[in-house]
Amino acid sequence: MTRTARLLLFALSCLVLAPATLALAWHMPAFGAHPLPYGEAINAVATAERHVTNMVSAVNFDYRGIDTLGEESMLLCAVTGVSVLLRGARGESTRARPGRVHGQPLRPRSTAMTLIGRVAAPVVLLFGVYVALHAMSTPGGGFQGGVIIASGLLLAFLGDGYRTWRRIVPSHLMDAIEGGGALLFALSGLLGLLTGAAFLANVLPFGEPGSVTSGGLMIPINLGVAGAVAGGFAVLFGEFLEETRVELSDRPAGGDT
Amino acid sequence: MMHLLPPLPVAGPLAVAALLLATSRLLPARVPDTVALLTVLLATAACVAMAVGTAATPLTYWFGGWTPRDGLVLGVGFVVDQPGAALAAFIGLLFAATLVFAWGYYDEVHAHFHVLMLLFLAGMIGFCLTHDLFNLFVWFELISVAAFALTGYQLRQSALEAALNFTVVNTLGSYLMLAGIGLLYARIGALDFTGLGRGVAAHPGDVVVAAAFTLLASGLLIKGAQVPFHFWLADAHAVAPSPVSVVFSGAMVALGVFGVGRLTWTVFADSLPVHAVVHALLLGLGCASAVVGGLMALAQRHLKRLLAFSTISHTGILLAGLALLRQDATAGMLAYLVGHGLVKAALFMLAGILLALCGAIDEITLRGQGRALWPVGIAFGAGGLLLAGLPFGILQHGLGLIDAAAHAEGRGWVGPVLTVGTALTGAAVLRAGGRIFLNLGPDPGFESRAPTEADREKADRPLWLMLAPPAVMLLAAVVSGGPAAGFAMRAAGQAMQPDSAHILGGPSLPPTPFPAEPPGTGLAWISVAVAIALAGLLLMRHRLPRRALALNDRVSDAVVGSMARLHTGRIGDYVTWMVFGLALFVVSFVLT
Repeated sequence: MTRTARLLLFALSCLVLAPATLALAWHMPAFGAHPLPYGEAINAVATAERHVTNMVSAVNFDYRGIDTLGEESMLLCAVTGVSVLLRGARGESTRARPGRVHGQPLRPRSTAMTLIGRVAAPVVLLFGVYVALHAMSTPGGGFQGGVIIASGLLLAFLGDGYRTWRRIVPSHLMDAIEGGGALLFALSGLLGLLTGAAFLANVLPFGEPGSVTSGGLMIPINLGVAGAVAGGFAVLFGEFLEETRVELSDRPAGGDT
Repeated sequence: MMHLLPPLPVAGPLAVAALLLATSRLLPARVPDTVALLTVLLATAACVAMAVGTAATPLTYWFGGWTPRDGLVLGVGFVVDQPGAALAAFIGLLFAATLVFAWGYYDEVHAHFHVLMLLFLAGMIGFCLTHDLFNLFVWFELISVAAFALTGYQLRQSALEAALNFTVVNTLGSYLMLAGIGLLYARIGALDFTGLGRGVAAHPGDVVVAAAFTLLASGLLIKGAQVPFHFWLADAHAVAPSPVSVVFSGAMVALGVFGVGRLTWTVFADSLPVHAVVHALLLGLGCASAVVGGLMALAQRHLKRLLAFSTISHTGILLAGLALLRQDATAGMLAYLVGHGLVKAALFMLAGILLALCGAIDEITLRGQGRALWPVGIAFGAGGLLLAGLPFGILQHGLGLIDAAAHAEGRGWVGPVLTVGTALTGAAVLRAGGRIFLNLGPDPGFESRAPTEADREKADRPLWLMLAPPAVMLLAAVVSGGPAAGFAMRAAGQAMQPDSAHILGGPSLPPTPFPAEPPGTGLAWISVAVAIALAGLLLMRHRLPRRALALNDRVSDAVVGSMARLHTGRIGDYVTWMVFGLALFVVSFVLT
């Protein structure tokens, strides 16, 4: 198709779609006037039934937990896909050298960067664990906490370089944490089946509302999500950082920065 | 016992996939193969049990035990009915055959292939069983992400663009679908099919409902590779490894059309405008896909691209069967879905054997190379004849039911148009088979101008291991005709509940009697004869007198060449056609 033909077809289609979109906007429920029976029902019952104060977590990990299991698997799938696409394991050995753009020198890392990395990494890690653990009482949860934990790990790379980062974040361990987290989620679902209840039925004691131990089965599910997300993002970072390395077969081992 | 089964075929593969990933670096070779195959077989067995057990009534399963309260659904439910469970079981069998076919092929990457395949399977089974629109979207996305990763498995620089086209177009499809879900939720405030169906019944002619259907159906038809949303499929197939192509063509594409059916029968069951559009536009798109796919298949020389375009053509037949909105047509669609899945999966495996043993996938390069592999050639020819409409087995039952239903609807032209598609795709496969296995066709015509690529796959498996799954599947497609059609008829009745008859404005549809004998075979023999004649003509080009050759070239360039020029491989064109497809929906809603 020539450029003109393509633009013509596109313009013609838009000529049809534009009034349709306007008509749709006109007929949409007025702003704020949506029927929201679901949200109201959850707000009304979740605290009493599940002893949690974060309704979003109640929906994600309990009422519609199967959706979250599917989404968790999607993350697993995406990360595995990236590993497959970028594989080559070029930097798994800590002897691999950094690649460089021709004509640009590799500058050594400043001590300020190292200091900031070393100070910030533990704080960020701790904050990630905090956000992950308080899923049932305050905004946040395993997804958010997991990403923060993984960013904390990434600070080790910024502060201390690729080799140190490789040593503290070995990829087989991250694979295990990622897969293990998703497995924990799936097994928590199967727990209900063992007691004769439904898959993902909340069969554990619900605990004190507002405390870290509230939510029953949501606790292991949340931990599973945190593990899968933290491990998954760490694997993802690893795959991308490996792309900065020169393949071992290309050059002899040398110094790192 | 039955009531415990619904979550297992989804959660089981997900759990095993997670376990394989967590332990991937510890497992010795062959363990991932064995574990994955066992898991797939167990999931299939659970689906078979449910397909048998739901003959009388569908099985409702509420996750987390959240049964609805006062009509308000708090959780997510699966409603397992016969069509859904049987389709899930069929997909499971297809995966099992694929894993046998690919046995040991993917050693080097820490079981990642098996993890992706298990997640792919779980997504498809969840898609078949769910009764919740957002949950459907979750499984749809899982299918997409797994498909992107598996397509890129052997990514080479030259293939990057094709894989990217696939990802971009399908991600746009996901956006459309999510937007459609958002519109319905804004209007109705529910996500389960029953609640949505009630809400749609309350606003049958609403613009928001019509827009939601447009977006949902477009998203699913992108996955179903229907004209004008079909462009990505051939690109994706050309780069995906052959075991992955087997699943793409055998199951994933058909699921797109099944998804449109599921929504039409449940959520939009009481919307007359939506049904009018299905009846008019989707019927037209299905017929157009059947013909366009057939012409494009004929224009290819890359064997997997050829088969991919034939998938578009045959999926068009499924869409046409769905669009007739009758129980017998739906039964025909379900039967054809299974038959096409079996035959096309077998053909992709045979193409994979050529890739492994002859080290090429190009029809013209491979000319005469397959003579030593005569068992493969016999299977390939049988597959081509079945696609062309050989009146034995399940494909013929399916197409016959669709044809009869179209006649009963006063649309007798549908059957002949679909037959054009089967004849063209059959001719394309037979031409390729004749050239590769019989050394015919020294003078290639328009197909020599088609895109191609040097490609090969590892030859690390014995021929019998690779040949057994396609042989079994072809045999199954031939012998399973009558009983399968009877089963499909009952399943279609269940799928279209709540009774679809009043949708079309008429009184309750009389239960269609089970066809006592296979439907008419006249059209089928014509199709086979045309396919053989056309393939013969294309292979015997060099024997034609010069005048006839010139005429042949002019006609083929006008018909096939102009069509081929539209398939540019450029993402901008694909997206433009997608927007055009959305506009078609709008026009169709305005006119009907």
